[in-house]
Amino acid sequence: MAAAVPGLSRARAAAAALLLGCCCCGAALTGGVQDQAEQFFRSGHTNNWAVLVCTSRFWFNYRHVANTLSVYRSVKRLGIPDSHIVLMLADDMACNPRNPKPATVFSHKNMELNVYGDDVEVDYRSYEVTVENFLRVLTGRIPPSTPRSKRLLSDDRSNILIYMTGHGGNGFLKFQDSEEITNVELADAFEQMWQKRRYNELLFIIDTCQGASMYERFYSPNIMALASSQVGEDSLSHQPDLGIGVHLMDRYTFYVLEFLEEIHPASQTNMNDLFQVCPKSLCVSTPGHRTDLFQRDPQNVLITDFFGSVRKVEITTETISLDRDLTGFESKFPEDELATEPLKYAEQLPVAQIIHQKPKQKDWHPPGGFILGLWALIIMVFFKTYGIKHMKHVF
Amino acid sequence: MAAPLVLVVLAAVTVRAALFRSSLAAFIAERVEVASPLNAWKRVVEGLALLDLGVSPYSGAIFHETPLIIYLFHFLIEYAELVFMITDVLTAVALYLAIQDFNKVVFKKQKLLIELDKYAPDVAELIQTPMEMHYIPLKVALFYLLNPYTVMSCVAKSTCAINNSVIALFILATIKGSAFLSAVFLALATYQSLYPLTLFAPALLYLLQRQFIPIKLKSKSFWLYTMQYASLYLCSLVVIICLSFFLLNSWDFIPSVYGFILSVPDLTPNIGLFWYFFAEMFEHFSLFFVCVFQINVFFYTIPLAIKLKEHPVFFMFVQIAIISVFKSYPTVGDVALYMAFLPVWSHLYRFLRNIFILSCVLIFCSFLFPVLWHLWIYAGSANSNFYYAITLTFNIGQILLISDYFYAFLRREYYLTHGLHLTRQDGTEAMLVLK
Repeated sequence: MAAAVPGLSRARAAAAALLLGCCCCGAALTGGVQDQAEQFFRSGHTNNWAVLVCTSRFWFNYRHVANTLSVYRSVKRLGIPDSHIVLMLADDMACNPRNPKPATVFSHKNMELNVYGDDVEVDYRSYEVTVENFLRVLTGRIPPSTPRSKRLLSDDRSNILIYMTGHGGNGFLKFQDSEEITNVELADAFEQMWQKRRYNELLFIIDTCQGASMYERFYSPNIMALASSQVGEDSLSHQPDLGIGVHLMDRYTFYVLEFLEEIHPASQTNMNDLFQVCPKSLCVSTPGHRTDLFQRDPQNVLITDFFGSVRKVEITTETISLDRDLTGFESKFPEDELATEPLKYAEQLPVAQIIHQKPKQKDWHPPGGFILGLWALIIMVFFKTYGIKHMKHVF
Repeated sequence: MAAPLVLVVLAAVTVRAALFRSSLAAFIAERVEVASPLNAWKRVVEGLALLDLGVSPYSGAIFHETPLIIYLFHFLIEYAELVFMITDVLTAVALYLAIQDFNKVVFKKQKLLIELDKYAPDVAELIQTPMEMHYIPLKVALFYLLNPYTVMSCVAKSTCAINNSVIALFILATIKGSAFLSAVFLALATYQSLYPLTLFAPALLYLLQRQFIPIKLKSKSFWLYTMQYASLYLCSLVVIICLSFFLLNSWDFIPSVYGFILSVPDLTPNIGLFWYFFAEMFEHFSLFFVCVFQINVFFYTIPLAIKLKEHPVFFMFVQIAIISVFKSYPTVGDVALYMAFLPVWSHLYRFLRNIFILSCVLIFCSFLFPVLWHLWIYAGSANSNFYYAITLTFNIGQILLISDYFYAFLRREYYLTHGLHLTRQDGTEAMLVLK
């Protein structure tokens, strides 16, 4: 399904433009429509996925579940369907016996915003949230019996949002109070995703203590990362609710949620605004971000490129001439694009070479001196035992 | 005698070839009782692959074979199955020839002692006759080749077979009387796995006996011969070790092979006694206990040499058995080697006291090893204690077997010189005990 989407949406875009462009003229408007057509090819993605992970259990970690559900809510509101969201919650807060308001998870005191709602679909729940399952979801190495809702079926035109929250430290994130995922493992998992063409661009957001350490080790292209605190700093929680008795949200995600509430599917807000969310005065910790692996300028990256699932449909009454050098649009990007050559996916296994492989030549040979010495010794022992008189039979 | 031997060899080769082609080969190759970190085949393959990649095979903790094995298998790796079958056949043939010669020696010595009237008058039934000794070499070859332990060891392609063949050739050389060859093979055996060092004493005793040099500490000819033999042995050992240096131009193999054997860092379960202790020992004490355990192997040589100086081949048998019980990474291949000698002492059968129970213990433990391994590792309903219990029982069975044979041997010797019907001073029947 995912592989058919690029062709489908591009065909749909082209068809929409052509069909409705039959009754238009107006050369003056052509320029604006051309700009709009350029919008199609601004970002290389055609579908969006989100992997939202809450890694801590127990009632007092209510805020982590609330964090994840807030992001889930925003992402759903902006258009990503449940089939494209992998939601992993390590504990059930809504139906926890200690919850004075059952079936709700609030994200703001005074119970203003119930992020649990009626249509939450949790894919990995409770003890299924493990490091192994998380890495299997990311890399796609899932047993064949896994249901579709538990799979990340992304392709090379998918933009993926990965949000993780929980308790972390310098270089690790704790899962379920019993195991950890390290930043190296995470970086390697992302590299596997890159090599398996499982993403077009990836946005990684982490809200834990010393969260910046988790994105330090990334080395795959097209990853942008945000963290709630730098190495050595703790991410703090926002406010306790006296009615429920626990802290409801973490500060960083609280302000991100506030920011995302302003976004609607057509908004043009870009990533630079997201980087400004929660300055030190509000968050106490210093949020960090990493964009060196990302090929586009964050200025040109829309929030909805990751948080929403924006269909590339533009309704117009103009005629647009789609000429062959549509790739010319890409050259109209602003000049401050990274001037590197476009990053290709790694060479797949050279199948032709493997099929016709000859048996491997042994590269190592024992040194001549050794062979000489060994056989000289063996011959000496032989003649010492059996006498020199046998020599004349040999030669 | 050649024809039955050829038949036995053919039967053994068929059994092994059949097993190589079956699916059991992979299963057997993984069993910890058959393949230890020292002699597992996949480690040999790994080491050679590392060498092809340009890395020294001793750089990790995976390869613990000597450079001569690298050299041997570098050229023979495609014919590995054939190599191991030939090795087993070589061992069996060497043992066959050795025991044939040994029988002649025993018979000659017996005749000499009878003529010298050293035997008591009523021991006619204890004297070995050529008739009953005729089939012993064949039985030895049979016992070695068709022993399930040997077959499993061969199918697993464990290099224990090569160790066994070197020791068998050493025994052949010793019994034939060639001090030089015996020293060379002993050096090779020691180079291969450290413990055959203890076989120096029985070989020396045998060669001294053969040269009719009396074993007295004051005798000059005794010390002269001992020095000669020791220097032959040490020189060959040094030459072989220096030659191994030139294979890879490094001394890496010494800590990897000998350091590994002596310091026992790898605690994979096997049929030996080391792994369980060291798995649960504090670091602080491990050096002390490693020394204690290793001394245990070498410790019995001198007392046994004093007691068994007239019977060096029996001493060799007991020493090989002690090595295979107390060495750091024993496998069933080591057990098979000393079991091959049991037909030689079949005349002791009437004096063995616990042979039924011991054979039952050994057979049951052999069957219980894979069962408890499965329960521990796969089913999860047992733990390492269960497996170690079987290991302990197996080793106790082996030790009791050795001591039973030891007792039987000494008892027969005593009867030979003192007569079968022993009486105490007051005339009642006496019972011989081993104190």
